[in-house]
Amino acid sequence: MSSGQAGGDPLRHAEPVMGTVVSFAVYPGDRDRATVIEALAGACRILHDADAIYSTYQPESPISRLRSGAATLAELPPEVEEVLELCAHMKAATAGWFDPWAMPGGVDPTGLVKGWAAERALRALARTGVSGVMVNAAGDVIVHGRPGEESSWRIGIAHPWRAGALACVIEADAAVATSGSYERGAHLFDPRSGRPAAGVASATVTGPSLAIADALATALAVAGPDGIEFVTGYPGGYDAYVIGDDGAELASDGIRFVPVAALSAEPS
Amino acid sequence: MLPVGSARASTDRQHHKSAVGGSAPPASAAGGSTTGGASSPGPSAPLVEVRRTAVGALENYGYGILSVRVTVLGSRIESVAVQRLQTAEQYSQQLAAQAIPMLHSEVLSAQSAQINGISGASYTSQAYALSLQSALDRLHVA
Repeated sequence: MSSGQAGGDPLRHAEPVMGTVVSFAVYPGDRDRATVIEALAGACRILHDADAIYSTYQPESPISRLRSGAATLAELPPEVEEVLELCAHMKAATAGWFDPWAMPGGVDPTGLVKGWAAERALRALARTGVSGVMVNAAGDVIVHGRPGEESSWRIGIAHPWRAGALACVIEADAAVATSGSYERGAHLFDPRSGRPAAGVASATVTGPSLAIADALATALAVAGPDGIEFVTGYPGGYDAYVIGDDGAELASDGIRFVPVAALSAEPS
Repeated sequence: MLPVGSARASTDRQHHKSAVGGSAPPASAAGGSTTGGASSPGPSAPLVEVRRTAVGALENYGYGILSVRVTVLGSRIESVAVQRLQTAEQYSQQLAAQAIPMLHSEVLSAQSAQINGISGASYTSQAYALSLQSALDRLHVA
């Protein structure tokens, strides 16, 4: 409630990168503005570096050269192998539902890289000692610390077919990733059929790592409600929230919904 | 480079030249008002490669408004940048005002739900693509 600087408004920044816009909100705490701005610049560099390596739209990017056979893994930056190992790990952890190798045109880690890069950007900002940070990579969100004087971050989950509306609001203390066929159109493939996924309108995963949550959410959107099992079974504390094509909602126990009543400051 | 759709081709036809340069704010994007009738096509593709710039329509991306500036050399895209990006301070309130009820059919009646962010919709990439497309339309490219 204070209007002073202590809790104050966050510094906001929006960076066009990775074919979208990644937005930041930073609560400086006792860090000065110059420190935060420098850290934001560093975080943006992390995103652009990731884009340069993993963009499948740029024919000369390392991932494109790998896909086309112009380069072998050994010739590429070590991060590529790291990300592909994480992809392989997540493929196994999701019983094949997350499968970057099933994409048309060759291996495509896009389903994980956006979250992976946003998570690295967040860690870089968090290391500066600011009191709260949120990085939102076009709907894949990761937070650290606290939003000013509020006790927890509240993240709205976009309604799958009502533009601009929210399906619900949840409390978050780390990653929130949402996938859905509505979001990426035909980009979300069922690796078993090679066709666009159907059945789940929106799949949200919360947990400590955004890279992992991103992959789990992608898998969950394809696998359907049965996929909740591999989300909650993944070590580290991951939870799932699914909205089916029929509007039915399912959530695992760890999803902390903000009661609608708590969202409203009753206008009197 | 981007999943640019083919929609919106007709929206801003009449603005094709006037939007060149920095500041001219394009006509409101939201209404989607299709202007003019069947006007004749604008300048045909130049024989010499000319560098041209246009600013796309303002698009709402959920947190605010953006528009994209594109520069083409001949018919090739040379650069794309976000020309305007307004992060609406009140975006959470705006969105929350439209939030639908969930969980046990509770009704959200308030205007001022406090949220910090939104997970799910790639508003930004859609808005980016739409604005880019309208900028290209103005240049009669692609």
